[in-house]
Amino acid sequence: MARVLMAALGLLLAGLQAPAHAQVLTGTVGSAEDSAMEGVLVSAQKGGSPVTVTVVSDAQGRFRFPDGRLTAGDYRLRIRATGYDLAGPQSVTLGAAPADVAIKLAKTADLAAQLTNTEWFMSMPGSADDKRPLIECMSCHTLERIVRSTYDADGFVPVLERMLTYANNTIQARAQKRVAAPTPNEAGARRLAAYLATVNRSAGAWRYPLRTLPRPQGRATRVVITEYDLPRKTIAPHDVRTDPQGHVWYSNFTENFLGEFDPATGVNTDYAIPVLKPGFPTGTLDLEADADGNLWLALMFQAGLARFDMAARTFQMFPVPGAASDDAMQQSMVMPRADNADGKVWTNDVARRAIMRLDLKTGTYERIDPFKFLPKGGLHAPYGMMADARNDLYFLDFGDENVGRVDAVTAASTIFPTPAPRSRPRRGMLDEQGRLWFAEFAADKLGMFDTKSEAFKEWDVPTPHTHPYDVFCDRNGELWSAGMASDRVLRFEPQTGRSVEYLLPRPANIRRVFVDNATSPVTFWAGNNHGAALIKLEPLD
Amino acid sequence: MTAWMRLTCLAGIAAAAFGGANAALAGGQMNFGDETNTSANDGPPFFGFIRDSNGSSIPGAKVTATVKSGGALVTRSNSMGVYKIPGFAKEIDPKDVTISCDKDGYKQASTLRRPPSDPKDPIEVECTLQKE
Repeated sequence: MARVLMAALGLLLAGLQAPAHAQVLTGTVGSAEDSAMEGVLVSAQKGGSPVTVTVVSDAQGRFRFPDGRLTAGDYRLRIRATGYDLAGPQSVTLGAAPADVAIKLAKTADLAAQLTNTEWFMSMPGSADDKRPLIECMSCHTLERIVRSTYDADGFVPVLERMLTYANNTIQARAQKRVAAPTPNEAGARRLAAYLATVNRSAGAWRYPLRTLPRPQGRATRVVITEYDLPRKTIAPHDVRTDPQGHVWYSNFTENFLGEFDPATGVNTDYAIPVLKPGFPTGTLDLEADADGNLWLALMFQAGLARFDMAARTFQMFPVPGAASDDAMQQSMVMPRADNADGKVWTNDVARRAIMRLDLKTGTYERIDPFKFLPKGGLHAPYGMMADARNDLYFLDFGDENVGRVDAVTAASTIFPTPAPRSRPRRGMLDEQGRLWFAEFAADKLGMFDTKSEAFKEWDVPTPHTHPYDVFCDRNGELWSAGMASDRVLRFEPQTGRSVEYLLPRPANIRRVFVDNATSPVTFWAGNNHGAALIKLEPLD
Repeated sequence: MTAWMRLTCLAGIAAAAFGGANAALAGGQMNFGDETNTSANDGPPFFGFIRDSNGSSIPGAKVTATVKSGGALVTRSNSMGVYKIPGFAKEIDPKDVTISCDKDGYKQASTLRRPPSDPKDPIEVECTLQKE
């Protein structure tokens, strides 16, 4: 079942395991306008290696790769500093002597190519209501693709309607069609098309200034970021988590594999998940551990759940009965954490905006409508799922603005609207103190729901249009968050409101975030869903 | 509660319950900001003051609306001590919805329901808390 890909063998040569031969690389960053530039990301990638290491220049314009990360050889250099391109040098050879390079930047001729989705949101004229539908587009592609288009309003309508026919587990490297495409909301499509024709290039060049976020400063420069390119561009790492051996496990949003990556050796292993519905989109979303430490996957349009036995390295499949004749059946979430309490595993039925619960003994599913007592026609969507020790379910109503609880014994639901309206809470985690931390995708806030007092707290993210996808509370009580828009990782102290945003070296479409609490300081991990890479971020404080 | 205050609350309720377009998405699937006007499907909203035994309003109190057939919705009173609940499914008889209130250091003393003259109008339920 395991298909071991040794494509990353060059990683060994990249010297991850060879501190004895470690080289020193330091330098300065400047431009004609500014001789010492702070907050420039400097990346080094050895020829043939899938590993890129990135550091950030300090207030004096100096940078230093940490000892032990680079070995002798030829490295391609890359920078990220919005508004600038790398003038030179393009590469550096590390030998026995320490290398100190003077990196020169030049003003870019194509600023638009450097904008993040957040910066496009900042730049585009229009109301919040005009822009709100665009937060869906980021799931499959950047906003740059939209604003560079030349469709007029009429030309945009069929394009938007075609977009509805793609499965959500689509990336540019691997588009997948829905088998059951929804009926377009024509009035909504026309309204959105009319707006988009005012912000794209249908009438020539953009008639609004391109606004950019400032470069990192101070604490945001004290970080080391390592990117591990995965062996195929069609791999879309969605959820990531590390195991006690330091291996990274990830769900692959577009291919029917569970991924295991060993950062120490660079070996990527793909475990093929049996295909339950040939002809339907492949790929999985939620990746969670059960009480025994085995991994579960929500199978999206393959309909059902899979349990991966960590010892035997085999899958046990739990198809949804009747799914063969239900073209819209989709499971995006799974919550097996407390399956030892009652032998049940939670999931969702996306098409019916409902919750489902798998009975492990019988393999049967029951459907629970947690909103049955609320007005019909709401846009509810049970999404991020957590469970307490009794296996009571806590879920996030991503379509609307609620945290919900479903009692493990009675299956009765309680709905808790978030203080922020239209917040669209997306993913999160339940900590050992019973605090549910979650990201409010549409409200640009991080939230906390105390399951004991049933009270909320909310904090604005520092940068509007971040659209946080997920949040992780680490062992120090600090929050880590990211999303599809800003190419930044947010670190946030809820007690003080103090925050730092670490810019990432490349466009990064981030979903689930994970913190390895076993290192000191902690280590942040995420998948670059559109970039076929795993991202490790090590703060230096 | 004066008639003016009740009117103010009603205006707020109307805006909260019927004014806003809903979020733009269905089940992880975009559909261009589709909006649903759910008012035709709604039962009447609930609202009211949370007060102490002296009649002072209490902000931040937990307010639970429990539906007899199963299910509950939990919200909080605002800085004015007012809570608002946009309503339940049309088939739920408002008489089968119980409002209760709670706050650390207090216990619930009583609730007072003021049925509206028009069954479609918001239902006011005042809840009084007593210091423990």
